[in-house]
Amino acid sequence: MGQGVVSSERVEPGIEVITFSGEHDLNTTPQLRDKLTAAIQERVPVVVDLSGADFIDSSILGEVLDARHRAEDTGLGFAVVLTNGAPSVGRVLEVTGLDSSLPVHKTRAAAIKEARAGPSGG
Amino acid sequence: MNARGLSLTVAARPENLAVIRQALAGYAEAMGFDPDAVADLKTIVTEASMNVVVHAYPDDAAGPLEVSARPHEEGIEIAVRDHGSGFKPPAEPEDPGLRLGLPLIATLSDQFEIRGGSEGTEVRMIVRPSVNGDAAEEAGEAIDPEEAQGTVMSIAAGTFVRPVLARVISALAARADFSIDRLSDSILIGDAVSAHDVSDFQDAMVGIEILDGDGRLEVRIGPLVEGGSDRIMRGLELPGGASLRQLASDIAVEHSPSEGADEPSEFLLITIDR
Repeated sequence: MGQGVVSSERVEPGIEVITFSGEHDLNTTPQLRDKLTAAIQERVPVVVDLSGADFIDSSILGEVLDARHRAEDTGLGFAVVLTNGAPSVGRVLEVTGLDSSLPVHKTRAAAIKEARAGPSGG
Repeated sequence: MNARGLSLTVAARPENLAVIRQALAGYAEAMGFDPDAVADLKTIVTEASMNVVVHAYPDDAAGPLEVSARPHEEGIEIAVRDHGSGFKPPAEPEDPGLRLGLPLIATLSDQFEIRGGSEGTEVRMIVRPSVNGDAAEEAGEAIDPEEAQGTVMSIAAGTFVRPVLARVISALAARADFSIDRLSDSILIGDAVSAHDVSDFQDAMVGIEILDGDGRLEVRIGPLVEGGSDRIMRGLELPGGASLRQLASDIAVEHSPSEGADEPSEFLLITIDR
């Protein structure tokens, strides 16, 4: 089982996509927070792509929710995607109700579209 | 501890959550849990352990975080304990993650209770699916609430040792930045210990303490009966002709006085460098 790593990439035109590999919990929340904060400070819309994560816990969800509020407050688009993700990741999103309330998109293209549209969802 | 149980003690730090999660996942897999049930169990044990890391001790202290598991008629019973000042989920936690943790445990576990007192807090959970488990007696072990170092495990000899040990060693070796080769050497050593004759372990419990850091793992195995260390070393002829002495960076035998016993207990110390 690999150590959890959070990465980010800038996709055209000006969307920050945050990706994950390995397992993520309280130990990797600082990594995630740094990436999210950097994008929001740069005023770049954010897509959080959980598809590569093998495991996430509530501390990761907490960081995502917190960043979403901060993005909304600054008028930035923010979206979450899970495509063929690990079953445990889908399960946590389902049990917490975040799959529908966020919402969690099934494709990165749909998430990028939402993020680009801005906080009101366009 | 009980006839088919597992107990694990680590310092209450974020980096140890993965170790706990992997140990319990290995145990549940060996108990025949299906992958979805293992995934739920990993979430439950991570959330309960995270509460200890966040709430149990002052910010600058990492006291012990104890996790035990044993078979239950409806699945596995897991207990997560601390020796802190009490479980204090704030009424309105600032971190939204903390608002999600307890509902996750409650939803994914079959039963869930929190007992608190001046000497710490225990969260006890039962996770399905059912397996055929024997009733087992409790026997608490004294833990120094001031000190918590490394990973201390006690596993009933038999089926569970190998899956639990392999996952814990992998998690610790990954954390210590071991190369794939050294990681695989470490797992070979763990497998060999797992396969060793139970009669060399006192009370048929495989006790293992692993200290990690500075690019090395220090594995302390015991208490063993007298001569157990020699037999483990001789017995560890590994595939390809490698022996424990070739794989390990250092090996030592330690004799420590043991309570209520005439003779000192023996421990085998294996150091594996990155």
